[in-house]
Amino acid sequence: MLQYLVILLDDAAASFCHYSSAGRAPRPMPADVLRRGIRFAMTENLNVQFVYPAGEVPADVAALVESVDHVKIKPVGAPGPADVTVVDGFDGLPAEPAEGATYVLRTDRAALFARRGELAPVLARAARLNLVLTDVERFADADVAAYAETLDELAGLIAGQYAAGRAPQLNVLNDRLLLTQMNSCGAGETSLTLAPDGRFYVCPAFYLAPDATPVGSPDEGPAVPNAQLYRLDHAPLCRRCDAWQCRRCVWLNRQTTLEVNTPGREQCVAAHVEREASRRLALRLREAGIMLPGAQEIKKLDYLDPFDVRETW
Amino acid sequence: MSIKENDKGWQSGMAKNITFIVTKDCQLACKYCYLVGKNTMERMPWEVARQAIDYILDHEAEMKEESVVWDFIGGEPFLEIDLIDRICDYLKTEMFRRGHHWFNSYRFSFSTNGINYHEEKVQRFIEKNRSHLSIGITIDGTERKHDLNRVYKGSGRGSYQDVVRNIPLWLSQFPDAGTKVTISSADIPYIKESVLHLYSLGIREVNINCVFEDVWQEGDDRLFEQQLMELADAIIDGGLYEDYACSFFSERLGKPLDCVAQNQNWCGAGRMLAVDAEGNFYPCTRFAQYSLREKPALIIGNVRDGIDHNRLRPFLTLDRCTQSPRKCIDCEVAEGCAWCQGENYDAAATPTIFQRSTAICLMHKARVRANNYYWNRLFRKLELEDAREAYEKRKKETKNVTC
Repeated sequence: MLQYLVILLDDAAASFCHYSSAGRAPRPMPADVLRRGIRFAMTENLNVQFVYPAGEVPADVAALVESVDHVKIKPVGAPGPADVTVVDGFDGLPAEPAEGATYVLRTDRAALFARRGELAPVLARAARLNLVLTDVERFADADVAAYAETLDELAGLIAGQYAAGRAPQLNVLNDRLLLTQMNSCGAGETSLTLAPDGRFYVCPAFYLAPDATPVGSPDEGPAVPNAQLYRLDHAPLCRRCDAWQCRRCVWLNRQTTLEVNTPGREQCVAAHVEREASRRLALRLREAGIMLPGAQEIKKLDYLDPFDVRETW
Repeated sequence: MSIKENDKGWQSGMAKNITFIVTKDCQLACKYCYLVGKNTMERMPWEVARQAIDYILDHEAEMKEESVVWDFIGGEPFLEIDLIDRICDYLKTEMFRRGHHWFNSYRFSFSTNGINYHEEKVQRFIEKNRSHLSIGITIDGTERKHDLNRVYKGSGRGSYQDVVRNIPLWLSQFPDAGTKVTISSADIPYIKESVLHLYSLGIREVNINCVFEDVWQEGDDRLFEQQLMELADAIIDGGLYEDYACSFFSERLGKPLDCVAQNQNWCGAGRMLAVDAEGNFYPCTRFAQYSLREKPALIIGNVRDGIDHNRLRPFLTLDRCTQSPRKCIDCEVAEGCAWCQGENYDAAATPTIFQRSTAICLMHKARVRANNYYWNRLFRKLELEDAREAYEKRKKETKNVTC
């Protein structure tokens, strides 16, 4: 069931996920398109997430934004307050992260492995940090150890914060501790994106792709062909998987396996490295006497890719 | 080991099927042919074939099946008999040289239109590889039925006479060989006479299937059911069930299926491998561009860069219920209803293999009704003759090959 509407206020709106929006020419969403999108969201009881470009948005657009309850997703440095601040690469990290803020850091593997220590100030002040590996589709078996080591170091920072009475969230470590079911991004099922061209897309990545295919509009309503394939029950690998923090990115799925419901090995392996790191963080917190209300036991697995054990299903 | 003994291994599901699309040319232009992109230009160069073989044999650990079926298709494969002979020689030499686990556990398989079966080069190849060979000649039945669809390109002349002259030679070399018959809408009135005609030619196994494409007209299912019931009567009244088999009639047909215990994907696409003249790999030949009407080819790699295993993951995790619409999941006669993964992909609303085409639905239901009639009549007859037990011991079944 549709619950969220992501509205790109500009073609050059910041990417807050795996896809890249770099190099896109600015094209603001026309006010009448925005008006129809907001009306659609209101009539369908949807939560609205506005995604901003780096610069100012037109005054009429800014005024319309305030006509509906919403979340603002902005690139770091964009004017005005943001609910979620997107940082593209370590160089963009603020010297003094805002207390209680939510950040998204888009980074490739190499930078994360090399510069992970620079996340300490963010975890010390922010309420939440979402790490997005922008090259996860190239995650190799050789990256497993480096990623695990990186996550263990970050887990140490988080455990230190817990001991100090703070509880920052890092998506790739904390989410799995508290989830009881798959919590993927929901593109195509619980979430759609309204683009500046006035049409719905499965997510911003599907809009920015060369073969962009719209899936309805505010006037016609959503029309997602083969909509069942975006649901967990139609994902043979994912519905049996308990790496519940995995984004289960349908766009990456499409890129790597040609099917929106089937992840490539790289996404599965990275998610399982995170799951295992979450398990070790849970043990670390338990040993430190820190209780997480609602936290579930995470079982140790002897595989990193559920595909490898499909014969046992 | 005889071919018959060999059969046990091939039918156990432990064989890897690897197909060389050696040519996209054919003498015929069959009206129901799913190969929409046949042409005379795309002939597999030897170098591509060699690279494909080297890649496959180099990756023995990824292909652990006990046996291998090296399949050659076209177009018409025997148009490229020189290339095929060279490929087979190289395969045998390389499997032996490498100590590959497929050495002496392999078969060369052909599906041919039979037109140049008698030619010297083809016969020399058959003689050379006889103990590792299976060949199916496609003949659709009576001359009238066969020539309705299986016509020469250009002239439109029927090919029956050019095929039927080779049937005795073929059966003398492969007495247990079966033939594959394809049924489209226009063929329905000729089903009974065609199957009986094939039996009369000495072909004891007739694998016969409706095309998966959406070609059916209103009322076809009733006509189909009527034809099958008349065929059932003829088989039973003539006692033909003792020595002949027709895949339309099966004891494993027409029951509901469970989404947990009976959720296997029916089709072998993805477990199979096909390579074309360009050196591209496909999960099955049906995903090559010449087989597709609407969609782009689904390429999973090539002989130079190898196989992209991510592109195989959907095929190897696909199950029956995930790709089926609710009406198929709830169907009370689901058992035996087949599908073609390639046709599913081609007919789907999006580029996916997870949307099952149901164009064959009414035809399957008609088949189930006629099948029920067949077995009820046959078993009643056998019981009245006190012959049921003897029949069960010696009954002939088809391999039920549907693609």
